Amino acid sequence: MWIEIAHFSALLALILTFLQIFSSLYGVTSGNNAWIRVGRHSAVVVALLLTVSTVGLVNSFLNHDFSVLYVAKHASLDLPIFYLATAMWGGHEGSLLLWAWLLSVYIGVAAWRHWKTHPVSMPYVLAILGALLVGFLLLVLFLSTPFERLIPPPFDGKDLNPLLQDPGMVFHPPFLYMGYVGFAIPYAFAMAALITGQADEEWLVATRRWTLFSWAMLTTGIVFGAYWAYYELGWGGYWAWDPVENASFMPWLTATAFLHSVMVQEQRQMFKTWNVFLVTMTFALAILGTFLVRSGVLSSVHSFASDPGRGVYILAFMTVLLFFSFGLLTMKSEHLETDIKLENPLSKESAFLFNNLFLLVATLTVLLGTLYPLAVETWSDSKVSVGAPYYNAVFIPIMLGIILMMGIGPVISWRKASFRQLKRDLLIPTIFAVVTGIAAWAMGMGNFYGISTSVVMAFVLATHILDTRRKVVARMKNRESGSAVTTLWQLISRNKRRYGGFVVHFGILVMAAGFIGSGLYQEEKNLFMTSGDKVKVGSWNFTLDRVGTASKYNWRAVEAVITAEHDSGFSVELRPQKRVYNETSQPTTEAAIHTTWFEDIYVVLGDEVKKDVWSIRVYRNPLIVWVWTGSGIMALGVIFALMQGRISREKKLE
Amino acid sequence: MMKKKQKRLFLMLTVLVVGGALLSLVFSSFTGSLVYFYTPTEIIQKSDNLDGKTVRIGGMVQEGSLVKEEGTLKIRFLVTDGENMFPVRYDGMLPDLFREGQGVIVEGMWQGGQDFMAKSILAKHSEDYMPVEMSEEGIAKAKKSILKSMQ
Repeated sequence: MWIEIAHFSALLALILTFLQIFSSLYGVTSGNNAWIRVGRHSAVVVALLLTVSTVGLVNSFLNHDFSVLYVAKHASLDLPIFYLATAMWGGHEGSLLLWAWLLSVYIGVAAWRHWKTHPVSMPYVLAILGALLVGFLLLVLFLSTPFERLIPPPFDGKDLNPLLQDPGMVFHPPFLYMGYVGFAIPYAFAMAALITGQADEEWLVATRRWTLFSWAMLTTGIVFGAYWAYYELGWGGYWAWDPVENASFMPWLTATAFLHSVMVQEQRQMFKTWNVFLVTMTFALAILGTFLVRSGVLSSVHSFASDPGRGVYILAFMTVLLFFSFGLLTMKSEHLETDIKLENPLSKESAFLFNNLFLLVATLTVLLGTLYPLAVETWSDSKVSVGAPYYNAVFIPIMLGIILMMGIGPVISWRKASFRQLKRDLLIPTIFAVVTGIAAWAMGMGNFYGISTSVVMAFVLATHILDTRRKVVARMKNRESGSAVTTLWQLISRNKRRYGGFVVHFGILVMAAGFIGSGLYQEEKNLFMTSGDKVKVGSWNFTLDRVGTASKYNWRAVEAVITAEHDSGFSVELRPQKRVYNETSQPTTEAAIHTTWFEDIYVVLGDEVKKDVWSIRVYRNPLIVWVWTGSGIMALGVIFALMQGRISREKKLE
Repeated sequence: MMKKKQKRLFLMLTVLVVGGALLSLVFSSFTGSLVYFYTPTEIIQKSDNLDGKTVRIGGMVQEGSLVKEEGTLKIRFLVTDGENMFPVRYDGMLPDLFREGQGVIVEGMWQGGQDFMAKSILAKHSEDYMPVEMSEEGIAKAKKSILKSMQ
């Protein structure tokens, strides 16, 4: 019953989305406001209907309704309730419904929030967003539907892939999609601005918070995925430059570029075309990511070619999107012309230019590495893969460049920076950076990239702190009252966007430390141990106490009990497992991880190579927890920046 | 002091130089890190000019071919595409999905005249996984040969 309600609601939503598009367009061309209002109300009703649809599917999971094919494929009677509710996005069909549902909710919220503030562009925005939603609803309803029945129903379902039964994987897709989908709003506003000819800074200001929010969600979603890979896959790493990971990273890179270049347009009315290009690319790459992951093309071009429905559809959707966007951009480019030229190499504008340059090359790097193997396989007989060495060779220098710009960009002034200013803002950080570099080298941090990263990190940290300190001092001089702390608080709460950005930058530094630590200084060791054996790895002593079994109602496991004792006397018990879930015969490795601020000890249980001799692999991953912490700091920074409302900004401008 | 036009030119030149340097880094690292994939049949035909190159070989692990050396992680097995079989050695922890009769991709440096020593073994996170690059017929053939070997 529930699944029919879900199916019917989705169909009704599709019809109403068409109504949303055509009544908005008719209303705006005929000048009839009633029709425009119909479009808006449809948007809200569509969001409600798709909510019903999503709830219906989730409910079918909760009821163990195996007469629904999708439920039978992705759940079982044994599945814990938490994973039962979230198995809704455990497969292609459900996750596409999740996409559509999130988009409809965003459209509803946008229709409600921007109604009064953007009466001119709103009908176009709703029409464009409606068209995007139609694209996804057609896919969900006709090409890849989760609403199909399975008659006769099986007694039990096939179960959710055990690797997906993990909190990291539960939160990864919805966060990622909240990011992907969110870029539809600034995209639609940009297109509407081109159509109405009001392509000044208004659409950027209007969608600033959408952009920030989506960026934060995308960041968090990617990190959830990395965390899951680290926790669940048992290979000691978290990022393998796998095409699926790359697919989510590309829109993140262009979105980050967009986030910075909008500031140039807001303040200096430059980069107008560029910003429209960036927001279009971000959304198109989000669609490309969905295509790569959801079409099956990555597992094999050939198997994709034999069942291309869903993939070809998404690809066609993306092509239409790109043609429409760039067509509109070319036809309406006169709205984007500006007399202001970027001419000074020493200015904030040019710092942003280089930030964008680095991020764009990074995007190209990933795009090339992801699509080239597909192209080779499609057009020739050879098959080829691009390995991690390529990405590492290119990305570390690019990361260093971006971090360096991160130190200069926020403090350098608009238009033209004087040498006096630069000296004031950058001299001490430069000295500090050099000293840090020498200290790192003296402490035996042999790796060139390790040292260079600490140098640029020290530089960025110093510029941010120095700039904040200088502003606090200046304020205190003017007021001659209040302590440094209250002045600091006043300063940052007056400009939440800027200091939110500082916090995000700090989060990136923390993350970069984690990347360098875990990427360049990881150690691994293969051990063979019998019960009672003691082995020393680094500053840890490992004792294998025993190997036994463990079980829960939906899995059984072989489990090793290992005591790890640090030289300092601290000791901890680790229990790595090899699990077999009831519904599948596939064994999965459960690594045992002990986390400290300085390093992670990551232990994996291997096979019994001889009677009572077990192979055990130990990784030492320095600073890995900094990667997760850094992303948390970034999210906090964004939340803080989001708290700056538009109103306070307008007041300031008056 | 530079004039406005000169400054603009200088800025554009800097962008070109930095961008060009980055792009050349991208392309030079790219060509060096392409790893080609072969089936056992292909690698037997083309093996002459592969010395010293990293290659991937994919197929199914031949049923009954897996030999484990006791007390170590050293193993050897045959990779088959249904037509030809190819011996592979490996020393290390195996992925969860590695099993006789299942698809596998081994990666390592090709050294003519010696047994292929795999540096890494790949298997994907799905039960019904077939090696990515294997063609449909290859899979069908390999399945047949596995059936044969089981009789």
